[in-house]
Amino acid sequence: MKKALQLALGIVTSVGGFFDIGNLVTAAQAGARFRFQLLWALLLGTFLVIFLVEMAGRFAAVTGKAIPEAVREHLGFRVWLGPFVVLVLLHVLTIAVELGGICFALQLLSGVHFALWVVPVGVLVWLMIWRTTFDAVEYSVAIIGMITLAFVVGAMRHHPPAGEVMAGLLPSRPDHDTANYWFLAVSIVGALIAPYLFYFYSSGAIEDEWDRTYVWVNRGVAVIGMGFGAAISAGLLVAAAMVFAPLGIRVESLNEAALVLTNAFPFWGFALFAVSLGVACLGAMLEVTLSLAYTTAQTFGWRWGESEAPHRNARFATVYTLAIVAGCAIMLTGLDPMKLTMVTMALNAAMLPVVAIPFLLLMNNGHLLREHANGVLSNVVVGITVLLSIVLSVVSIPLLVVGS
Amino acid sequence: MLLIRDLLDRQLIDRDGEPMGRVDAVVLEPREGAPPRVVEMQLGFVPLARRFGPRVASWAERLHRRWSVRRSARYSIPWSDVLEVHEHHIQVRLSAAESPAHDWERWLRRHVIGRLPGSGKA
Repeated sequence: MKKALQLALGIVTSVGGFFDIGNLVTAAQAGARFRFQLLWALLLGTFLVIFLVEMAGRFAAVTGKAIPEAVREHLGFRVWLGPFVVLVLLHVLTIAVELGGICFALQLLSGVHFALWVVPVGVLVWLMIWRTTFDAVEYSVAIIGMITLAFVVGAMRHHPPAGEVMAGLLPSRPDHDTANYWFLAVSIVGALIAPYLFYFYSSGAIEDEWDRTYVWVNRGVAVIGMGFGAAISAGLLVAAAMVFAPLGIRVESLNEAALVLTNAFPFWGFALFAVSLGVACLGAMLEVTLSLAYTTAQTFGWRWGESEAPHRNARFATVYTLAIVAGCAIMLTGLDPMKLTMVTMALNAAMLPVVAIPFLLLMNNGHLLREHANGVLSNVVVGITVLLSIVLSVVSIPLLVVGS
Repeated sequence: MLLIRDLLDRQLIDRDGEPMGRVDAVVLEPREGAPPRVVEMQLGFVPLARRFGPRVASWAERLHRRWSVRRSARYSIPWSDVLEVHEHHIQVRLSAAESPAHDWERWLRRHVIGRLPGSGKA
């Protein structure tokens, strides 16, 4: 019974906590500029994230360790240092952009300027982590995140042409803006395989005390949860294709993106977008912040655990406090949140080899995982993932410069 | 016991099960015709930095002198203080709460975390 509940919670959390400003911005631009032609990038990214998340969960369930502690212990600090530094940077950038998303949503709803929301929202998010337990964070992210299903409903209300949608699931050449097309493809994948997702998932599995018997629950959560989450991105892409493409709106700003639901929901569309954006980013910001604190604490062997009083966990609490302060500072510099989001998503893709390869090495450690180590199929997929991630990495840096 | 594999970067826990950091360096004493003896384990930013070379180590020493709240650059735990080497961690017979391993924990609790409302301090 407990496992069924865990499975359900895991799926709902994945659906609710998966979609964030990165997915929103990349999907909206992709749909607006290239209609359904980039759905294959979404499919590819989804496949990769299901795979990474399943492995992260399986590893945690079988060894009782989350990824950061395991990499330092089994591969050594010198191997871990590079990925660790990269992870810290990516996490801080992501915290900043999610914060930006929440503030932008509040600006849409209230008219009060974006910058005035930065510090209050930062404090609110900090309080949520400071005062609540891990379960409370997980449940709230899960429940409120469900509102993002509005994007799926919105897409369906437009009755998109099934044939064209299906065609989009296969890679195709764009007939305009080639550099931008490939930049968006890379960014879509980057938004889906954001490192905080599978790193948080592995620590979350330990917080939830998963053991070997949870291997199948983990599979269910990974496939169904991530699959559903990706469906929300797909819904947004399709809605953007139906609403923006015919009008030539390129979604250069979040203000333009905000109109995506106004056709499907004439009265509520605008507010629905704002609430979905705000809630999705809130869930993500909580997860990314915690993920950074977990990663740091495990790296240095401190006590870690969200549910403990900050007084018992001063170093852990300091890390997440500083992380939120850094996020606020970045947003207060006046950088455009949408541009920063796109850059961060591309960086996620570029850095995938660095943050994933050590983990993939561990997945083959028979000593650690015994019968749960990666089998032949997993390793073939691992090999392809590694190659793909290196290609993405090499390709995305010049695209970042040229295509954005 | 493969020293590098089983000692370095391992999680240390104290006599009460409290996490006490990770083994950042191991000091060995070579012996004639026998495997080297473990003299002590070292914890700290400086021993950790030393693993990247002497120049990184001296940079770390300078940082430590300037900014650190730690009593000394390295915290040495003699091998004789080890209670047991478990599969995933090493238990020592010391108490983390008073040890140099928790210098930063205590400092932050006192000067930052403890000063914020609702930190759970009774």
